[in-house]
Formats: sequence, C-alpha cells, structure tokens
Amino acid sequence: MGAAMPDLQAAVDDFCTKLRRRQVEGSMDTAKFTALLLRQVISHQRIPPSAQASTLIDAVKSVGLRMIDANRLELAIGNVVRRVLHIIREEDASLETDGVTGINLITDSDDENDGYNIAQSGVSAAAVAAANRSALRAPSLHNLLEWIPSSGATTTVGPTITDPEVRSRSSDKNSRSWKLKHSVIEGVNELLNDIENYHSQVAEQALEHIHQNEVILTQGRSRTLLHFLLEARKKRSFQVFICEGAPRYDGHILAKELAEADLQTTVITDSAVFAMISRVNMVIVGAHAVMANGGVIGPVGLHMVALAARRHAVPFVVLTGLHKLCPLYPHNPHVLLNDMRSPSEILDFGDVSDCLDDTTGGPRLRAVNPAFDYVPPELISLFITDSGGHNPSYLYRLVAEYYSPEDFAL
Amino acid sequence: MKSEEEISRRRGEVSGAVTYEWLTQAEAARFHKDPDNFKPLRASSLVGQQQQRLSDEREGLFSVIDEFNLWRSKPELAEAVAAIKALTAVIQRSEATTMMGLEIDLKKASEALKAWDETSISLSAGCDLFMRYVTRTSALEYEDIVAGKARLIERGEKFGEISLKASPRTNARQTIALLGKDFVQDGSTILTHGCSRVVLALLKLAASNGKHFHVICTEGRPKNSGVEMANQLLSAKIPVSLIIDSAIAYTMEKVDMVLVGADGVVESGGIINMIGTYQAALVAHSMSKPVYVAAESYKFARMYPLDQRDLPLAPCYVHFPGALPESVIAEVSTRDYTPPKYLTLLFTDLGVLTPSAVSDELIQLYL
Repeated sequence: MGAAMPDLQAAVDDFCTKLRRRQVEGSMDTAKFTALLLRQVISHQRIPPSAQASTLIDAVKSVGLRMIDANRLELAIGNVVRRVLHIIREEDASLETDGVTGINLITDSDDENDGYNIAQSGVSAAAVAAANRSALRAPSLHNLLEWIPSSGATTTVGPTITDPEVRSRSSDKNSRSWKLKHSVIEGVNELLNDIENYHSQVAEQALEHIHQNEVILTQGRSRTLLHFLLEARKKRSFQVFICEGAPRYDGHILAKELAEADLQTTVITDSAVFAMISRVNMVIVGAHAVMANGGVIGPVGLHMVALAARRHAVPFVVLTGLHKLCPLYPHNPHVLLNDMRSPSEILDFGDVSDCLDDTTGGPRLRAVNPAFDYVPPELISLFITDSGGHNPSYLYRLVAEYYSPEDFAL
Repeated sequence: MKSEEEISRRRGEVSGAVTYEWLTQAEAARFHKDPDNFKPLRASSLVGQQQQRLSDEREGLFSVIDEFNLWRSKPELAEAVAAIKALTAVIQRSEATTMMGLEIDLKKASEALKAWDETSISLSAGCDLFMRYVTRTSALEYEDIVAGKARLIERGEKFGEISLKASPRTNARQTIALLGKDFVQDGSTILTHGCSRVVLALLKLAASNGKHFHVICTEGRPKNSGVEMANQLLSAKIPVSLIIDSAIAYTMEKVDMVLVGADGVVESGGIINMIGTYQAALVAHSMSKPVYVAAESYKFARMYPLDQRDLPLAPCYVHFPGALPESVIAEVSTRDYTPPKYLTLLFTDLGVLTPSAVSDELIQLYL
C-alpha cells in the first residue's frame, strides 16, 4: 500500500505532524481533514475480489489509528474514522443483499443449473438478509438470541455467502468492488458536507430557543455559537453576557464579533458568572466533544458555569455537531481527556523569573493550565445538534445510529 | 426491496397446496408418537433420577422444573440461562405438530417454571425472553415445524454458551468484564455489596491487567454474601477489607466508585439486588460517587416497580441475636429496588448502557 501511493502517505504524515504541533486544532478542522484524507485512502485502495469490505476497513483503520495517535485529545478524528468505517460496513451489507438476490435471479432463469443449486442459493439469500440485518444493528436484547455479537461479524459474513461457484459465474466482480467504492465515497462526501454545514443547521433552530428580550450567557467561542446567536438576532433582540474565557480570552473575540452585528453584548470575567447568573434566562455554549453518556468536554471553566446554572435552575444548552459525538464513555475525563497547556498563558516568565530555587534552579512556583473541563450529563438540559434537539440521556441512541459497535475500540 | 419480493415469492410457493415441507411435517408428527424413539436427554444424570424421569416420560409427565434444577446445579450457569435450557428441553420433548401447539406447550412450561419460584426475577426474565423469541420466530419465519423446532433448539443451546463457555466472544460475563475494566482506575478504592460473579470477573480482569486497587466488601447480612465475595477476591490476590453493612456511609468518603451486580434489571433502568444496594447507592449519590452496575442482559426483566413493596417478597431467615418476644415483627426481605436516578452506568454484554438505554432495549423487545 505504502509504495503504491506515496503522495497519500506524505499527506497523512504531514497531517499527523500538524496535529502533533497543534497547528491543526479544533473539532471542525480536524474532522474535515480526517474525512478528506480517508476519502483519498478509499479511492486509492485497490480492492481485491474477495473480502472487499475488510480490505477497505483495514486500510481506513491503519491510517485512522495513526491520526488518532497524533493527537488523542482531538476526539473528532476518532469519531470521523468510526463514521467512515460504519459507512463502509453499511454499504457492504446493502450491496451484499442486492448482489445475492441479483445472482439468484440469474441462476433461477438459467436452465443448466441443477435443482440443488437453486434451492441452496434461495436459502442463502434469506440467511444473508437476516445475518446482515442483525450485523448492522447494535447488539440488543432484540437479537441476543438470533445473533451472538462478535467482533468479526461482518468479516465472517463475507466468506460464507460468497459461494465461489455462484460468484464466479456472475461477472459483476469488478463492478461490485467499483460500486462499493463509489457508494462509500459518496457516503464520505455526505459526511464531509454535514461537517462543513452543520452550524447552519444548528442555527436554523435558534428562533425556537431564544425569545425576545432574553438574557443569554455564554462561555468560549465557537463558530456554531456565533451562527446561532446571529440567526436569532435576525428576528429577535436580546442580550448576551460573555465570559472572557481566561487565559485564552476567546470571549473577547466573540464579543467583538457580536457587537459588530449590533447585538447587546456584555463581557464579564469568568469569576463573575455566579453573580450574573440569576439574571440569565439561558446558558448556551459550544463543545469540544460530547461523550456517549451525554457528558461534555468544553473550554475550561464550563463546569463552573454549569453548576452556577443548575444552582439557579437556568437551562444549560449545548450546541454541537454530530461529528463531535464520541461513542466512548469517559473513564477519567479530568485527567485523560485534558490538555495541559503552556503556563506562559497564565504567568509571564519575566514576572516570576525570580521565583526560582537558588540551589537547584528548579521552579518554586508552579502553574497549571488545563485546556478542557468535563461537564457531567446531569448538569446539561439540552443538546442542539444538526439532527435536532436531544436530551443527554438520548445520546446513546444517536451513537447506535451512527457507529458500528465493533468500531468502538479501534 | 428486491430481496423481500424474492423471499415472499418463495414463501408463496411453500404455502401452496401440498408441499415437501408439509409432508415432512406430517412425517415428523408421526415419528414423535413412536414410543421407541424416545431418547433420554442426558445420560449422565443420576440413575435414580433417570429412572424417575423415564417413568415420568412414559406417563408423559416431563417435569420442566426438574430439568431447570438440574441445569441450575451447574456452578457457572445463571438462573435465567438454566430456565432457557429447561425450555429448550421442553421443545425437544414436545409432540406438538404445529408451531402453535409448540407455543402452547412452551407457555405452559414457562408458567409452571415461573410459578415454581415466583420470587426469582432472573428466572422469569429468562422465560420471558425465550418466549418472546419463540413467538417472534415461529410466526414470522417458519412454516415448517421441524425446521422451526431445530432452530429454536439450536438457539437455546447457543444461549447456554453465553453463560457457560470460556471464550470471551460468547461469554456474557467476559464481555462485561472487558467493557468495565477500564472504569477501574489505578489506585482507586471500590465498594461492592453482595456477591456477584460478574463483578468478580470484572475485578479479576482489571487486576490481571496490572491495575492496583482496593476493594471494600460489605458483610452482606443476612446471608453474609460479602464475606464470600471477600474470600473470592483474596484468592485472586486483590486487597480487600470488610465492613459491616451499617458502615457504608462511614466508609464512603474513601471510596472512588461503587460497583454492584444485580438480580434483575427492570424497565425503569433501575435494578433489583441484594438488600442494602439502594442504601449504598443513595449514600454514593449524596457524596457524588459513581455507582456502576454489572449485569448480563438476560437479567433484564419486564417489570416496573414503583416502590419497594412492588417487588415480590423474597423472605429469608434473619438471625437476630438474643431472644425476641413473639410480638416483635422482623423484616425479612432480602432484596431492594434501586431507582435509575442513583445509577451512573450499567455494564452489560450489550455494551455500556445508561439506565435510560435499558428501558429502550426492553421496550424495543416487547413492543
């Protein structure tokens, strides 16, 4: 594979380096680049006549794992890789059912075939349909008795149904692999389109949530949030409090953008959230990632805002795209899913340079600068996604819809 | 679309006037009436029991309860799976010539099983699950009773593997252990209540993966199941301490997570487990500690308890030291219901689920 497409390898390496250097950051950009690269991987991949899907899956997995390893905090990369794998599995399964029935029709009309063959292929068509139906579904009580969930579900389905005689007689071998590739790439294109346009779909729902003369509080800066507020501004007038978001001060930028759109904007310090929250009607924030249990990874300080909102029973609404939805459950989010950034954002070295230990030269003063906060699901009132509004407890359904369980652990 | 048309066309052929399937069905019905063809199900059972069974069989009195108890005596086999095994045996015995007849036989057997031990939640859950599967399968996919029966038996057998076999792919307990082990953090303290094979498997797997953690077991009155749990953990070289049941709140500040098993998981997403679980979950919730439940999916039961009195009573002899006057009423129930709001996540062989996902699974199955 490596020799066949040097350009692609170089592109992947380049992307990984950028991820490591934090030159590409944020769920939107990382998701988009990941999808673009994976699309390239799929279109370059040679597909052998047997085990077509598993070849594609392996190729996507190997490239995907390298990208995930390059920056484990950008959960969107893993999400997109899993989404693409799910698309491959889905397309393969739908081709499988189409293909088998197509072949059956041929064998039935063919007089040279003996009766045994007809009977056999008829049975296998029904079996394949049933197997695929259950292979696509997440393991559930529903199919507990019908199908024992296994990691190799799709790969084992493949060879059993590719009855060599039937298959070799039908000449659609090449066209099938072409079809698979074509439909998978189409699926990835759709995914890309979703990633690029999700904020406009989220913003469309703004009028349902923001009413005249309301007071909105927000923290952090995200494209979705900006679009959402601007969309509401078209019909309603309302007031926005913005936490400045120390030490990165994203809030300042957002405040400027909103003020330019003629929105009543007030900047407050992060520590003033509790003082202001009693006047607020709704807290609306963006997210870095959403976990399968409905927990949110967001800019540092978000947990405090959520707690303040809960204290005063203010709805806490999170805007997110489906590419941010991660199918994993957080084990130890405060540590495992956090990024410790440079302390120079908090303290200027010049100011504290005399705080060094005289004997060792080591620091006497330490500064911790975490980038993210984890907000547990019980503090969140609503998720607004490109597929509509959802309760935190509903997110597992979305996970089941967009991911295959065998891809959860890559 | 095409495939469905194709299948339905074939169906049409099958349900024509007199077909091959119909003939085999008739043949099979005749075959079952033949007394010489009766094969005892297990040659390995005790001779006395065997004779008793054979005489039962001659009279046509095959006891599903005996069958169930035989399966249940296997140490690694869960109650729900034993129930399904027993019902599979009923299918094997059944002389019904139609799927409807088979269903009626099964229904009788499952009612008998449920009536035999009304208090067991996993028993009724297992029966319900299998009955549900039978009704769905038979009506939809099989006109031919022989094929239908064979498939049901095969599935029943396969289901036994979920509980029996050691391979991680089919064994529910191993799956749960694999899913849940990451939640055990290095250096953490885990409180567990009661004795559960799933919890044990999970903790053992985490320990063998190099995690160092400490387990606090409650005593687990009245059956002292916590002591049993502590012994099992000690034999796996996991550091354990034992506390009395009333020390849960006292100990909770040291605890990082609560991990319990379940007798049954109910439609609300809550669990029914050994008495004291509710209390442990309440204390953990009030101190913001996560409460995790490890339970196999065949324990998902079709019930919706509203309060503690809604549970079928499972009384047990409770030893109170000292002589009690006759007039004192002793509370003897041995399990309680923990509502879903006190549970963080459930580790099941269907994946890690939130309590609301459990309701969803159950609704999907029985809708």
